[in-house]
Amino acid sequence: MNDEWAVTASGIVKRFGDRRVVDGVDIMVPRGSVYGVLGPNGAGKTTTLRMLLGIIEPDEGSRTLLGHDNPRDASDQVGYLPEERGLYPAMKAREAIAFLGALRGLDWKTGRERAVVLMEAAGLGHAVDEKIRKLSKGMAQLVQLLGSVVHQPDLLVLDEPFSGLDPVNQERLEALILNERDRGATILFSTHIMSHAERLCDRLAIIAGGKRRFEGTVADARGILPQRVHYTPHRPDPAIRGVLPMDAMQDGDSWRFELPNEGIESLLVRLIDAGYGISGLSIERPGLHEAFVRIVGQHGDVAKEDAA
Amino acid sequence: MSRFRRTLRQTFTIARRDFIATVFTPIFLLFLFAPLIMGSFGAIGGMGAASVSGGAQDKTRIIAIVPAATSRPIAEADTRLRGMFRDDEAPPGLTTVAPSADPAAQARAAFETKDIDASAVLYGPLNAPQILYGPRGARSADYLGMLAQTTLAAQKLGGTLPTIAATKTQITRSTTSVGGQHQSAFFAVFGIFFLTLFLSGQVVGTMAEERNNKVIEVLAAAVPLESVFFGKLIGMFGVAVLFVAFWGTVVTQITSLMPAAAAVALGDLTPAVGAPMFALLFAAYFSMAYLLLGSVFLGVGAQATTMREIQMLSLPITILQVAMFGLSSAAVSHPGSWIATAAELFPLSSPFAMAGRAANSPELWPHVAALAWQALWVTIFITVGARLFRRGVLQSGSARPFWRRKAKAV
Repeated sequence: MNDEWAVTASGIVKRFGDRRVVDGVDIMVPRGSVYGVLGPNGAGKTTTLRMLLGIIEPDEGSRTLLGHDNPRDASDQVGYLPEERGLYPAMKAREAIAFLGALRGLDWKTGRERAVVLMEAAGLGHAVDEKIRKLSKGMAQLVQLLGSVVHQPDLLVLDEPFSGLDPVNQERLEALILNERDRGATILFSTHIMSHAERLCDRLAIIAGGKRRFEGTVADARGILPQRVHYTPHRPDPAIRGVLPMDAMQDGDSWRFELPNEGIESLLVRLIDAGYGISGLSIERPGLHEAFVRIVGQHGDVAKEDAA
Repeated sequence: MSRFRRTLRQTFTIARRDFIATVFTPIFLLFLFAPLIMGSFGAIGGMGAASVSGGAQDKTRIIAIVPAATSRPIAEADTRLRGMFRDDEAPPGLTTVAPSADPAAQARAAFETKDIDASAVLYGPLNAPQILYGPRGARSADYLGMLAQTTLAAQKLGGTLPTIAATKTQITRSTTSVGGQHQSAFFAVFGIFFLTLFLSGQVVGTMAEERNNKVIEVLAAAVPLESVFFGKLIGMFGVAVLFVAFWGTVVTQITSLMPAAAAVALGDLTPAVGAPMFALLFAAYFSMAYLLLGSVFLGVGAQATTMREIQMLSLPITILQVAMFGLSSAAVSHPGSWIATAAELFPLSSPFAMAGRAANSPELWPHVAALAWQALWVTIFITVGARLFRRGVLQSGSARPFWRRKAKAV
């Protein structure tokens, strides 16, 4: 048993026909962390998660789940929300949650009791005895999500959990993820919505074209891009371009450019000496969104070559 | 929790869901009472046919063209002989007619009469009667011959045949009869065929629900596919057992109300292994037949992507079942032959043929071996079905076999 890592994957490969959908991905998810798998559509995120869970077998490479070589041996300690949601329409919400728990080893009675508590906490108390077919898509999705945590798993795997939810329910889901993390669970989720990842993830991997392009913290990802300077001169003058760095872009009366390698101080001295003064100045760290676009964009050509 | 116990628990969780989802629906009542509905239609049709047939039979007659002096003795002989027949086997009613100048022409004319259907007509002297008969009147002609002979014998004995007082005692065999064994064997083969024909085909479409609702992804993540398949099979088997238990109880109650003669007929079912063991083996082989055929149908049906494809599978499924019935029937008709051995060994016909063997042969050890053999094939069919599903539908490579996993661990 490996106590440090909830999930490890080493060089996992999956081919569909001649296409390598996942191409040698390595992932190490620390226990008790929230870990994001980010990537554009078709990057191979879902296939990676399915391999980690043992739904499909990798063609190459190895993986462990909660210390087990065979993911099946850990299945009772895992909760999973698939990208394609699915419940039995004729089941009542409470029964559906208890059933999902029973699949993971929770007895039915406890499952039903916890289902009521969870549904009430999620604002779905009124729908406990409603059949799934009577619920809205978003409500059914929440029911399925509750079904994935009803047995209090050590590892919660969520595939695109935010898609299809309204902003209120997205916020509820974020709270639920953090609650699960506080309970001690490890959360591994995939998304292509950066704001959620930025708020939730302790670490993340960015996958594009079936390959892992980045692994680290959110700060590490943002650190890939240089900080940007937002400068407003006291006296607007087109001639200021001669003082500013080459990449400076005008934005109204302001200018934006990357923080120079040598720092901002010498540039500010030159601007003041030239009489432009400083009306406004801020140094901004780029967001995860920009970092993601840069990382995925950088590898766009590589991905195309790989696909070819 | 050990892997085996976990697998068992997961299997029964799936089975429980499927059983409840099937039984607690209004459609199940329709399914449960389908034999009643079918029987009612059959009975209505039968009554209609019987009424038509009875109406025709009322008008069918055998005719004896005899002098007036013979008319009464022949009627008495008819009454005496007719007691030998069951109602549905009795010859048509007798009509006596006085002869005309040309009895031969009169006899021929009787077949053309509109108000009755003459089945056979007798004329001439009783010691050398002429009998004409129609297309389905051969037995009637024989009967008229017998009637003439009996009447003549009575006349020669002074008008009546002597009466005797016979003492009749029914004997029950202490050993099984060959006929009883064969009847039991056929009863077993047909019974299992009849039940599996009705019940096992339902399994074919059960994976469609999970595929359509996309629940399969959740199940596949939580439970090995083999458990999903086996759980669904067990769930539907539970439904079948409920169905059989319900109708078994109904039939048992009806049988207890049957007349003694019918009960005696059933008593002739004398299986070689004895009735209690035969009942036990019948239940065991019905279970194995259901599980074997069901596992094949489940595996094949899981590959189907649409309801249309599932419906298309019903014909090959029925043909396969009928083929197994045919093979097993041939096996029980020729115990010990190569065809019997083949039917007992071939996994899909084995339960049918072995149930027949239980009626024909008293040895018990082959049944233990056969049940183990059949259970092995259920496991093989489920494993293959799950692997095909994993490979074809989930688009995965198969899970590494256990021996490779073990080798890697070492």
